[in-house]
Amino acid sequence: MPRDQYARQSLGSTYRLVKESRVLLVGAGGIGCELLKNLVLTGFGEIHIIDLDTIDLSNLNRQFLFRQEHIKKPKALVAKEVAQKFNPGVKLIAHHANIKDRQFNLEWFAGFNIVFNALDNMDARRHVNKMCLAVDVPLIESGTTGFKGQVQVIKKDKTACYDCTAKTTPISYPVCTIRSTPSQPIHCIVWAKSYLLPELFGVSEDEPTELDHSGDTDNVEEIEKLRQEAQALKKIRESMGSDDFAKHVFDKVFKEDIERLVNMEDMWKDKKPPEPLSYETLEQEASSINSSIKLDGQRIWSPAENFIVFKDSLSRLSHRLAEEQSKASKTAQPLPTITFDKDDDDTMDFVAATGNLRAIIFGIETKSSFDIKQMAGNIIPAIATTNAMVAGLCVMQAFKVLRGEFTRTRWLWLWNGSLRTDQLEKPNPECPVCSVAMGRVHVDLEKATLNDLVQDVLRTRLGYGEELTVLTDAGIVYDPDLEDNLEKKLTDLDIEDASFILVKDEEDDNPRIDLRLAIEAKKPTDQSKPVALVEKEGETLDIPRRPTKEDAPNGGDVDGDDANGSVVTNGFSIAPPTVKRKRDLVDDDAASGTPAKKLQGPVAAEVAKNSALNAIVIDEDDGTLLIADDD
Amino acid sequence: MTTEIAPRDVTPPPLQAPTAKEKKYDRQLRLWAASGQRALEDSHVLLIVGDEYQGSNSSVAGVEALKNLVLPSVGSFTIADSAQVTVSDLGVNFFLDSDSLHKSRAEETRRLLSELNPDVTGHAITTPLAEWLPVEGSLKPYNLIIACAPIPSEILQRICFYALQSSIPAIYVQSAGFYASFSIQLPSAFPIVDTHPDPESTQDLRLLAPWPELDAAVDSLGDISSLPDHDHGHIPYILILLYFLREWKANHNGNSPSTFKEKTEFRDLVRSRARVDNPEGGEENFDEACAAVLKSITPPPIDSGCKEMMAMHLCTSLSSDSANFWVIANAIKQFYETHGVLPLPGSLPDMKATSAEYIKLQSLYKAKARSDVAEVTTTVRHTESLLSRETTIPESEIEAFCRNASHVRVLTNPAHEPFPSLRLGSGDHKTISRIASLLENDWEALLPVFVGLNARANPSSPLDVTALTSDPELLETLTKATAEVERVSGGELHNISSVIGGMVAQEAIKLLTRQYVPVDGTCVFDGIRSKSGVYKI
Ligand SMILES: [Zn+2]
Repeated sequence: MPRDQYARQSLGSTYRLVKESRVLLVGAGGIGCELLKNLVLTGFGEIHIIDLDTIDLSNLNRQFLFRQEHIKKPKALVAKEVAQKFNPGVKLIAHHANIKDRQFNLEWFAGFNIVFNALDNMDARRHVNKMCLAVDVPLIESGTTGFKGQVQVIKKDKTACYDCTAKTTPISYPVCTIRSTPSQPIHCIVWAKSYLLPELFGVSEDEPTELDHSGDTDNVEEIEKLRQEAQALKKIRESMGSDDFAKHVFDKVFKEDIERLVNMEDMWKDKKPPEPLSYETLEQEASSINSSIKLDGQRIWSPAENFIVFKDSLSRLSHRLAEEQSKASKTAQPLPTITFDKDDDDTMDFVAATGNLRAIIFGIETKSSFDIKQMAGNIIPAIATTNAMVAGLCVMQAFKVLRGEFTRTRWLWLWNGSLRTDQLEKPNPECPVCSVAMGRVHVDLEKATLNDLVQDVLRTRLGYGEELTVLTDAGIVYDPDLEDNLEKKLTDLDIEDASFILVKDEEDDNPRIDLRLAIEAKKPTDQSKPVALVEKEGETLDIPRRPTKEDAPNGGDVDGDDANGSVVTNGFSIAPPTVKRKRDLVDDDAASGTPAKKLQGPVAAEVAKNSALNAIVIDEDDGTLLIADDD
Repeated sequence: MTTEIAPRDVTPPPLQAPTAKEKKYDRQLRLWAASGQRALEDSHVLLIVGDEYQGSNSSVAGVEALKNLVLPSVGSFTIADSAQVTVSDLGVNFFLDSDSLHKSRAEETRRLLSELNPDVTGHAITTPLAEWLPVEGSLKPYNLIIACAPIPSEILQRICFYALQSSIPAIYVQSAGFYASFSIQLPSAFPIVDTHPDPESTQDLRLLAPWPELDAAVDSLGDISSLPDHDHGHIPYILILLYFLREWKANHNGNSPSTFKEKTEFRDLVRSRARVDNPEGGEENFDEACAAVLKSITPPPIDSGCKEMMAMHLCTSLSSDSANFWVIANAIKQFYETHGVLPLPGSLPDMKATSAEYIKLQSLYKAKARSDVAEVTTTVRHTESLLSRETTIPESEIEAFCRNASHVRVLTNPAHEPFPSLRLGSGDHKTISRIASLLENDWEALLPVFVGLNARANPSSPLDVTALTSDPELLETLTKATAEVERVSGGELHNISSVIGGMVAQEAIKLLTRQYVPVDGTCVFDGIRSKSGVYKI
């Protein structure tokens, strides 16, 4: 009996597709480890795995390819080494690198049959999404948080992309709440993490995103005072390393600044004012505490215990900074700083202790450092079980993708252990990423000028008229009133390998939709042309025209209320952007040319008779699960 | 993402950093806390693989489930499997390597699983089930049994019987090709205190049943129309609502708004009193009050699960060896009968208010919660002495119960029913007719998968699918599913077993930690359509 007997048996003809496929796995974390195991044992022919991270102790409760002895080693390399043993027949290639590096250009992405995203941050997710769309490689996107997880197939022009729905932005707090009038533990923690720690150990010009300045104009005076306070704190920073540094810091932030607040009598007319703390009193109390007691993270510390942790963590951080600064000065590197990291005990202890001391001042309840870690670190709970399920579901979607059955791919949700599915959404016509036309150009970067691009490719080859605008990330580089750049080399305009430009058709009459062109450094076959459009054999790039109002079908048909309203539209479909869920993804029937069956609600008996009626889906009202981040 | 930290050699801090263990399990402690972790670490899970050779005997699903329990640090596990490793095992089971060939599968998977986590102890039993299972006390060490299908009826029966008798849960898992399923057999009563309800649903503000101190806080507002703008704009919305409820009641024969129409009218009343002649042109605290009307002007919540619990025989008739849970449940019941409400959970949402006002209101809710816990504790202590119980129930257990009282659940298996696969195998008529009636409303069309997986539960008399339906199309679906299972002849697809192993472990964690509500019944998974459903068969 052969080794792959069971896979052959169950997968049938799909097994050959699996064996011949070349896939990219981005991320070797919680989902990544599971996915790699599944891909290897399912028999995928060639697997590339990429991850920038190294292994941390807190990974070991779920990232099962890693052990104690692997801590601090690169995830991608260890994952490859461990997984290779389990199927010597699979070709595994590991990259310990950032997926956004230029070496991973479009040509490289184009070499894969499927890309799996198992990432922990939105920025990289967006990047991979954009790259996959540009080369039309299907992407299977996944995420988990605690017992919840989700899988989404992204295929250009067929399904919604990662950026088709707006993602939630993090919560922010008004500056005055954080700096002057805290009322909840989180306000004190944000103060410790986003104000005090950076002021003492960071680059203080950094503007923390957790502070919301929109209300600043209402409190001009107070804001000015706060600015002065911060200035004074910077002065104290200069005494770092001296014996009374801790006392200076303490007296400044827990006594003087508070006294100033108390003196603003208007604020405390009919409520309890904050009470400044005394360094001497706490020092006295702390001296009676046996310093060998265990300050565990689950218990709530007393004021004196917070004081001990404050002094101790401050000293640890000061030493660290001094050491790193002396190292950096020898090598003429930029001055090092210390930034908050939830898994760095020094910064974590500092934030817990100073946040609690501030809470005591304002009569707010204090928290255990375990809880503070959660609140300060945005910790996403993560366990093996959910990752296992999500990774398995990714591979099942991959089977459908390999067979080209995009209409049968589903949006999958795990919600506390139960699996729900939904049809994938159509691309959002308003989406800034996938609603544009996409193309690639090969460029001889040594020679190519902007004129080569505008004249040869855009006007001659693609038929653009005079009125067009070309933009890079930095802004407009060409429009009819800005011809100075035409003779410049593309590289002088920062148009490099693996960068993107956007072309807008500005003609009044029947303009084209926006076009995003990917730049690839590769000499075109026709030596006389330094810039050439890349087209697959037998295909020509034809940029659709912007739809006019008359073309738009009646938006009412795609309303999410109609549970099974499969809608087939002719030509370009436009739905009002307010529609949350559109069920117009044509299903199997429609794909083969016949109109999608319109079912009037789930007719129980009919469905029970025929398990092939996949049009019936569980209607999930709550579609707001955050795509989570499991590192 | 972790930031690299340069090595340093300063003197070690006088404080002990969080233990390595706390750090390693940090991400899961966020889900089930230290109490859940302790319960998990006190557990010993037994994985049983059947002796009769049929493909890989769902052993990959079982081992994958164990993997997901070893990683979060279950105390111990034991694998009972008499098979030797074959070449096809190597292609489907990640926890075997090429050195494992022809060796004991139990021993080899134990070895490789143990490598995952040095905190976990693994054991292997390599003798056939029929030899060791009948030995007196053979199942005693375990508090959860996971059995991998197929297992012969007489053996499975023994496992089910033991689990019911000793009140431990058991799970039966099946995986073949693209199809998989698992069933949970619960003890006759399975109480869960910490069900982790949606935080939104746990809010209990007592707006319609204020206690004297909360009333006094409303009194102290005086006539709010005479307050200066700043104070008026900082009254916590809870007090605003209570204030206007008094006014409403005075004009409505002492009744609170109860219908949707009345609540909307009440909301209009509140809105009309917000001041708009200020620079902001409105008041945020009044906006919050209006937004909370529909959700918060409701009688104190009590879940049906809690009501069911209070009606249970175990709750009403205590004995000296009643579980702690029931002693507290009984005290909660007495509390509810006396006051018409459950103990107050005591938490307060964020709201627009001055810090001082917010903190004052918060301590009001906390104090009430504490005094409710104290009352329940008194009842518990009284019961303990009445029943002359030897140990006292820890304070923390009573407190946790009070905090979650409204959402406590007791799952039951009153008829002591074993796994449906076992009942089907013995041709139980009740089970067959239950499946037949479930098939009539099986919108997800997943039951045929379960039927397919169990058609040969009793090899000597295969299931007659015509007994399940007379509908020709449905009959064809059932026959197809059965044929698909036969075609793959017990061969597992790693990926499917990995998914079902994840699901089984997830439920196992719920059962072992006694947190969250586990699947009550049979979960069926169809990997061809990526669909799953839960059935009470
Ligand atoms: Zn999009």
